[in-house]
Amino acid sequence: MPRSPNLTRADRIGYVVGGIALIVWALRRPSWSRALAASVGSWFLYQAYTGSNPMLKPLGIRVNREPAQPQLAETIVVEEAITISRPRAEVYAYFARPEHLPALADAEVDIARNVADQELAWRGLRGEKLAHFGSLSFRDAPGGRGTIVAAHLEYAPSGGSLGAALARVMGRSPQRLVADALRHARAILETGEAPSTSGQPSGLR
Amino acid sequence: MRALCWHDRHDVRVETVPEPKLINPRDAIVRVTLSAICGSDLHLYGGFVPGMVKGDILGHEFMGEVVEVGAAVKNLRAGERVVVPFPIACGNCFFCAKGLFSLCENSNPNAWMAEKLWGYSPCGIYGYSHLLGGYAGGQAEYVRVPYADVGPLKVPEELRDEQALFLSDILPTGYMAAENCAIERGDTIAVWGCGPVGLLAIASALLLGAERVIAIDRFAERLRLAALKLGAETIDYSEANVLEALKELTGGRGPDACIDAVGMEAHAYHNIAHAYDRVKQAMMLETDRPTALREAIMACRSGGTVSVAGVYGGWIDKFPAGALMNRSLTIRTGQTHVHRYLRPLLERITKGDIDPSFVITHRMPLDQAPAAYRMFRDKQDECIKVVLMP
Repeated sequence: MPRSPNLTRADRIGYVVGGIALIVWALRRPSWSRALAASVGSWFLYQAYTGSNPMLKPLGIRVNREPAQPQLAETIVVEEAITISRPRAEVYAYFARPEHLPALADAEVDIARNVADQELAWRGLRGEKLAHFGSLSFRDAPGGRGTIVAAHLEYAPSGGSLGAALARVMGRSPQRLVADALRHARAILETGEAPSTSGQPSGLR
Repeated sequence: MRALCWHDRHDVRVETVPEPKLINPRDAIVRVTLSAICGSDLHLYGGFVPGMVKGDILGHEFMGEVVEVGAAVKNLRAGERVVVPFPIACGNCFFCAKGLFSLCENSNPNAWMAEKLWGYSPCGIYGYSHLLGGYAGGQAEYVRVPYADVGPLKVPEELRDEQALFLSDILPTGYMAAENCAIERGDTIAVWGCGPVGLLAIASALLLGAERVIAIDRFAERLRLAALKLGAETIDYSEANVLEALKELTGGRGPDACIDAVGMEAHAYHNIAHAYDRVKQAMMLETDRPTALREAIMACRSGGTVSVAGVYGGWIDKFPAGALMNRSLTIRTGQTHVHRYLRPLLERITKGDIDPSFVITHRMPLDQAPAAYRMFRDKQDECIKVVLMP
């Protein structure tokens, strides 16, 4: 079964260079321990060929090599969904305000598509340059359980998939940002306020 | 104000900290008149729960007097006496609407941390690690109560603080543990752990019509209370083989339901599995020691229910899945949905069906809380339950 790619072009070049370096090093003075290095090297080459590192799979990194916006050569894909116990029109109206969209910071939001109660799409611009693009789709949850909001966002990889993996482990990834924005929206829409502890007392930290 | 702050494993200190302020429109500030140390606070004290930060104010069992309410709180007024449920619940979300208040989707600002460990996040809890929101707790002079229009219960004048305090946690927790046993006429219920929750689970099982309750512990004073005050039969697990003893006491069939009121720091005697768990827990290869849970599953009669009230935090080993599956056992568990038990249990207390204050063994000023934690941890001075007065 083909794996969905999680390595960017830069990653794959790095894997090829690293893999060849390991193999060459092993061949220059063969030994059992260097044979191990050579097999690790060929494993890197194989990953560069498939475009997928299985060790990154649990982190959910996904690379799109043919993004819908051709200004970006390739993107890292973020998908998040949330169910909000409020009517669709109300949920849509909240997100229709650009400042409520789960857009990435330091980009200017340009609304690309806007279908009432169904879809909102935007482009995140840094000056003239496209930094990310995203969309929200709205549908009724089954059994009158409110509204399902599905977010799809793609951004230009800067640190490659390793960077994205690190960011995810550190809890500062675009994935977190989108998830937090959806969660914040649910709290506001359902309870009228966002849960917070900022400014509460504590002992000496 | 004075507040009990967590600093490190086995290191808590009473410090002077700023008073809490309203943060959200649905908040209230409560002047604490009485709080308690919970068995689950010992898991934090012992460093078994991740996400604690130096300076965190502990305490999730507390009551007091409302001093200030946010603009959106219409049902409470300054001066009213309230007891506050330990789960922080919004009252609006999918789970709150189903009465599953401890699963509130909106109250944990650090939901992402809990999701990493548990898949999804339960509600926020006062003074219970940043995994569950990092909310400042109630072992203090004042505390901020979020969603004050949903949680706090007004306490009728005729009740003393000590009678009402345990509505915050351990009475509903013991009651839910018993309710989860789906008790039928003639049922025998076995309860592992005769700490405050175990004792209140015994009392609740009897209220709910259990024929017999068998209490399992190793501390004489706890077993004495279970036997003399509540009429339970007892097993001292430091002396008896619990599985054999239960089999004998139940006509060879096993208890109809088993309650684990112990949780992740279980003890055992003459038991290789216990040594194995101690080593794995110390090496951080296993977060919890599940001796009581394993035993409850093995002991339960076929087709019966294992009700887990004790707190677990992470992963356990050697879980008897074969016994669970092949003998059609049901496991029911969860942090207590306190809000839904508040009114019915308040009624039980005012009617005199139960007075949960019988578990209190020590009354101490807040300033002595560090000593109280030590005493409670080491079970010195026959300590079962400590309440703290600010």
